[in-house]
Amino acid sequence: MKKQLQALWLTVILVLLYVPILSVILASLANTRYMRFPHRNWSIGAYTDAFSQQETLVLHLVSLKVAALVTLLALVLATLGAMAFARYDWRGRSIYQKAVVLPIFFPQPVLGLALLLFFSALGITPSWKTAVFAHLVWILPIVTLVISIRLFGYDPAQEDAARDLGATRLQTLREVTLPHLAPGLISGGLFAFLLSWSNLPLSIFTTGADTTLPEWLFSRVATNYAPVVSAIAVIGTLASVLFGLVVLAALWMQRRAARQSSSASASISTA
Amino acid sequence: MKQRAGYLFMAPVALFLLVGFATPIFIVGWYSLIEPRTFELTSDLTLANYRAAFTEGYGGPFYWSILGAFATVATCALLAWPTAKMLHARAGRGAAIVTGLIAVPIFVSESVRLFGLSLFLMPGGGILAGSLKALFGVSIGTVLNTKIAVWLGLVYVHFPFMLFPLLLGVALIPQDRIDAARDLGASRWQVLREIELPLALPGLAIGALLTFVLCIGANAEAAILGGQAVTVVTRAIEQRFSYAQDWPMGAALTMLVTLVTALVVFPVLSRIDLNRLIRR
Repeated sequence: MKKQLQALWLTVILVLLYVPILSVILASLANTRYMRFPHRNWSIGAYTDAFSQQETLVLHLVSLKVAALVTLLALVLATLGAMAFARYDWRGRSIYQKAVVLPIFFPQPVLGLALLLFFSALGITPSWKTAVFAHLVWILPIVTLVISIRLFGYDPAQEDAARDLGATRLQTLREVTLPHLAPGLISGGLFAFLLSWSNLPLSIFTTGADTTLPEWLFSRVATNYAPVVSAIAVIGTLASVLFGLVVLAALWMQRRAARQSSSASASISTA
Repeated sequence: MKQRAGYLFMAPVALFLLVGFATPIFIVGWYSLIEPRTFELTSDLTLANYRAAFTEGYGGPFYWSILGAFATVATCALLAWPTAKMLHARAGRGAAIVTGLIAVPIFVSESVRLFGLSLFLMPGGGILAGSLKALFGVSIGTVLNTKIAVWLGLVYVHFPFMLFPLLLGVALIPQDRIDAARDLGASRWQVLREIELPLALPGLAIGALLTFVLCIGANAEAAILGGQAVTVVTRAIEQRFSYAQDWPMGAALTMLVTLVTALVVFPVLSRIDLNRLIRR
């Protein structure tokens, strides 16, 4: 009885989390001027409209540009930052650890406004490039944490062993350190991309004349309803889901390869 | 060697956050101290904007944002606590899938999810109202464009941010400690208050902190679900910057939000050992 009640509770939580997303999908399946659910005529007209608009493509490209650049920069910087966070024990580390997470504990719209003022004080005109900078301020700490979690389970003695066995610094990095970090890098990159792709509060204030997908949706949702808005919301979300699945598949394959190579080396050592 | 490596590796991130996080806040602080409705950073400094912040009716937006943040933290904690306990107790494939499914919406844009919630709650032809009418012939009203809708939206968006730190916290409770307390005759309530809550506190604190901070700046919920029902503080600030062209006033309000955030964040963060929570 208790078990069934618990299962019911978890189901209700999940249903509630997905009902709004499902609602957008349902709303997108009709092409009427006003929302009248249940639809009298179900159609995919909104999607054909969305695909025939140049704007759909432009919005996706701006979001893609921003997210790709954020991911790349965040991965490079966060890998270095995570080494200082989790790998080395140095004086000042605990202060650094707390300072790094501060931007996560800061209201994003307020951060966006502050950055807008900062850019204008410097005489920089906001565009998608300033949005990359803004996203990084919030996403870099998160990716640093994600990679740090992986690094905490890392034994630096492996590197010394590789060096003792004659590996060069570069070889050690490529064949010992990076393979261990790989899962952390992949999930860190996934976080960076998806959080940038879906970000609204920072983009609103820092993209200037450019418009990202969430921004466009926000402005259209707040003003006037049209089925094409739902359709574009679904397309944009599916694009990120697809990206997430590809990355997760890569992670899974990497794990399998690691397991196989470790079982192969185990069989060599037993032979 | 370790010292040097530490400094070397922290330098890029530290430098970036110094430029991208500390400097903007400093500049906002500076703007907040110049004459109202001016744009010259070189002019004389004044506290006029802060005086105006306390006397010119900005209390409402601050009140609603802070109240909304507290209400959301409380609601999310009440919902997330049993959920975290259940997921922890059932550790296994099923729980992992449920946990993953709860995480996915974090990566769906707020604008999409809140839009969905407004479609669901819409009166007349909305998803909920329309379905009920078609299936049972029942007509219902709507909470859309009220404060309740804003609160629902805040809880909906921030629930995962409470749940995940709480999961880490609940994992810090050893089961044998609970069993021992029960054997010694402790009631459920006593176990919760004297064993579970104190042990899970780091996770609960981080979750509450994250939720509170995200809510205090939240404005999309009020804009999409609240209609004209409530003006949140971010909206008030934004209006200073855009329509009113009074940047110093907007900056002063921004500094006040930063102050409220800092007063909540620093005491909690300084008491929590991050290493312990994420190292496993």
